[in-house]
Amino acid sequence: MTDLTDAGAGRPAFDRSRLIFWGVSLLTAVLVFGPILPIILQAFLDKPLYDDTAGLTLGNFGRLFSEPGVGRIFLNTLYFGALTMAVAQVFGAVMAVLVGRTNLPGRRWMGEVFIWPLFVSNLVIAFGWFTMYGPSGFITLASRTYLGGAPWNLYSVTGMGIVAGLSQAPLTYLMCLAAVTKADPQLEDAARSAGAGPFRALWSVTIPMIRPAMIYSAVLNFVIGIEMLAIPLLFGGPSGIQTVTTFLYDKGINAAVRPEYGIVGAAAILLLIVVALLVWLQGRLMQGAGRFVTVRGKASRPSTLDLGPWKWAAFAFVFGFVLLTILSIFGGIFLRSVVTFLTPLIPIWKVLTTGNFELVLSSETYVRSIVNSVVVSVVGAAIGTFFIVVIALIARRSEFRFRRPLEYVALFPRALPGIIAGLGFFYAVIWMPGLDAIRGTIFVLILAFVVRYIPVGFGAIAPALAQIGDELDRGARISGADWWTTVTRIILPILKPALFSCYALLFIHFFKEYVTAAFLYQPGSEIIGTTMLQLVAQGDNGPVSALATIQVIITALFVFLARRLLGAKIYG
Amino acid sequence: MADLIIENLTIKYGEVTAVENLSINVPSGEFLTLLGPSGCGKSTTLFAVAGLNHATSGTIRVGDRILFNGDRKATVPPERRNIGLVFQSYALWPHKTVADNLAFPLILRKMGKSERDERIKEALGLVEMLPYAERFPFELSGGQQQRVALARALVYRPPLLLLDEPLSNLDAKLRERARVWLRELQERLKVTTVYVTHDQSEALAVSDRIAVMSMGRMRQLGSPREIYETPADSFVADFIGSSNFLDARMIEGGTDHALVELGDGTRLTTAPGRAAADGTLVVAVRPERISVATAEGPNTLRAKVEQKVYLGSVWQYVVRSGPVEFRIQTTFEIDAPEVLLHIPADACALFSEKPVGN
Repeated sequence: MTDLTDAGAGRPAFDRSRLIFWGVSLLTAVLVFGPILPIILQAFLDKPLYDDTAGLTLGNFGRLFSEPGVGRIFLNTLYFGALTMAVAQVFGAVMAVLVGRTNLPGRRWMGEVFIWPLFVSNLVIAFGWFTMYGPSGFITLASRTYLGGAPWNLYSVTGMGIVAGLSQAPLTYLMCLAAVTKADPQLEDAARSAGAGPFRALWSVTIPMIRPAMIYSAVLNFVIGIEMLAIPLLFGGPSGIQTVTTFLYDKGINAAVRPEYGIVGAAAILLLIVVALLVWLQGRLMQGAGRFVTVRGKASRPSTLDLGPWKWAAFAFVFGFVLLTILSIFGGIFLRSVVTFLTPLIPIWKVLTTGNFELVLSSETYVRSIVNSVVVSVVGAAIGTFFIVVIALIARRSEFRFRRPLEYVALFPRALPGIIAGLGFFYAVIWMPGLDAIRGTIFVLILAFVVRYIPVGFGAIAPALAQIGDELDRGARISGADWWTTVTRIILPILKPALFSCYALLFIHFFKEYVTAAFLYQPGSEIIGTTMLQLVAQGDNGPVSALATIQVIITALFVFLARRLLGAKIYG
Repeated sequence: MADLIIENLTIKYGEVTAVENLSINVPSGEFLTLLGPSGCGKSTTLFAVAGLNHATSGTIRVGDRILFNGDRKATVPPERRNIGLVFQSYALWPHKTVADNLAFPLILRKMGKSERDERIKEALGLVEMLPYAERFPFELSGGQQQRVALARALVYRPPLLLLDEPLSNLDAKLRERARVWLRELQERLKVTTVYVTHDQSEALAVSDRIAVMSMGRMRQLGSPREIYETPADSFVADFIGSSNFLDARMIEGGTDHALVELGDGTRLTTAPGRAAADGTLVVAVRPERISVATAEGPNTLRAKVEQKVYLGSVWQYVVRSGPVEFRIQTTFEIDAPEVLLHIPADACALFSEKPVGN
């Protein structure tokens, strides 16, 4: 009796699939926990992590809470996060219903413009707001001169929260839009035939279905609010308002000269715990969301609501929003980059200049940061896509015993704020022997970015993977293919569109990233984001606007090409 | 070609037992059908043979190769079992042409290009799909996809072919033609075949033998004729074809016949069988075996016609005699309100209890 031997397809007895399962899982665990571990350690050490004489202590937390103004900082952070969420949810949801389901004039192009802010960083947006609505901003001065006053103040927690909320509204919009446009139109038809008018059907049937999207994006925006660096740094800095992120940023940067490791570690852990709890809460709230899932079978477009005479009022509202919070922000950045001095009081043509761009392009550092940004995004997104798709295939398409834990670990970076990821990798590189070789190189940036955005890529791939019936894998296995051959030869080719989308999303996120890199870059490995952060701090607005403009143009070019050539789906 | 031997196969998912202690011996070249209602464990068994789900205990052998041995926890991964499998959804790889779908298993077997092309041509010829070699799956009709799926499972000449409800996605007319064609092909190739279906007429039409399954257990294994005419228990009698189940009492048991009394007092001579401990039993009679009699005699009874349904080729009636209600089938219309019926002794099978659910 030949026993479990002679092979159907003449395959080596060596099982490479298991090697891949274990290798990828270990790598994922090391990459995700590697940066968190040193932060936890540092929070309980009385000396720097790399000092061999350091001993365990709980004193860091005591020192943190006795630091003057710490209570204020935590309150600021919570209020800022809550306001960001509230503003984003209200505007995002209203826009989604108006654009997605009514006959609002111009809803196609306004819907397109509405997602622009998602392609650029908060830093660019914050700078744009500063340029237009800051104390000496273009619109502020114009309003003061021609209307006799400008009743807004960005340099307050409320002002910051409103700006952050308005710039996060597109995220809410996008999630609610998917919910209102993909809802099964038959459900509304059923309400109509049961006697409901068109508004009533929309209000009672479809609007409740965006609840999961609202809950999900609400928590997401709250998290984004409390981990946001750019807006608190730009607007809070001059007036001395601090949030946890700016506190970490200041102390972390200064840690090189002053011994504040412990406090930074303690504050980082508190932030990490709060964010992790929120992400967990999000998961809990989303349980049972299945009763709202109506997307089944064939896609058909729901009917649009006729607003009647109200459509022009709605148009004025939406257009006002798009003009004042998006077009003017981008316009302000572009405009600022071609003038020496931006003010409504002097005609533009008298201050036109190409000096800002010349300055940027003639500086070795600035050019290098642009080149680095492009390299990090092009190469990093490719590495990231490959890594993430293998994780997704193991987690969703293998018989690996620990596939569920692998998915949890891989998705954990959702709860890892960028500033903490940066800090963690910074510590890890110093702390772990042998990693000094990559310290301050763009390689460590790529590593940190990939880890931080595993959940983003996973989110682009997992739904597409779920669409591929598992009998296709089974068919390949029974035909003689092992796991790795099955996924590379059968699943990956079918998954190609999702891979392009994942690549495009990672590219955009890597290209606009600045927070994670703030602690990791060194002269030679600057990226656009870190250079802008530095210049903003110095008040060099000319080169900042030129760099921001260059970043926006490259991003726009990439998005255009990715959509045209690769057919990548980026935000809908 | 090889025989398939399943011994004491048990498959558990946590606390749930999907298949319990199943033993079947499929000789080389036989066409065996696993038949049963959904959830009976037939597909679970099939996929365990393929290696695509995990058996808990027992052994599975093809020829002298052990594919699974529960005692030693030894299992051959699906890709090394060399078995052909056709899925209910066909599972054609959408990004590959028909020819490439067939080529993939051959490439995995390190076959040269010229031999490969020859095999593909032969397999596609077999299923009459040669002109469609360069098409993509989405360009084919359901029936054509089903043929390609079969060709892909046969192209590497596996000794064992498994079919998981391959005809269930075809429309009724096509399904009838496809099963004749499938059986002819299997006879020509003499490949050992295990076929899974819940459609009893399909099973009766194509199989050498049928294994009727219910709730993870095998209820009867036999030729289509044995299964239909001498069901082993009331479940099989109910599931294969349709039967009337009449409550009765044993009057006189015997080795070659029995005498029972129905609820209305009618006495029937029946095939032999056993009653429950208290003497009660059920008589299973198929509606089409009951005929209209011209004169009173043994095994006749008078019944009132209560309901009449015209089904095209036949008429079906619900008739009643006292507390006894049952269905009969005739090829002609009955106009009278009452009818005299004859129930042949060999049409009556005795079981000690009714099928579950009745």
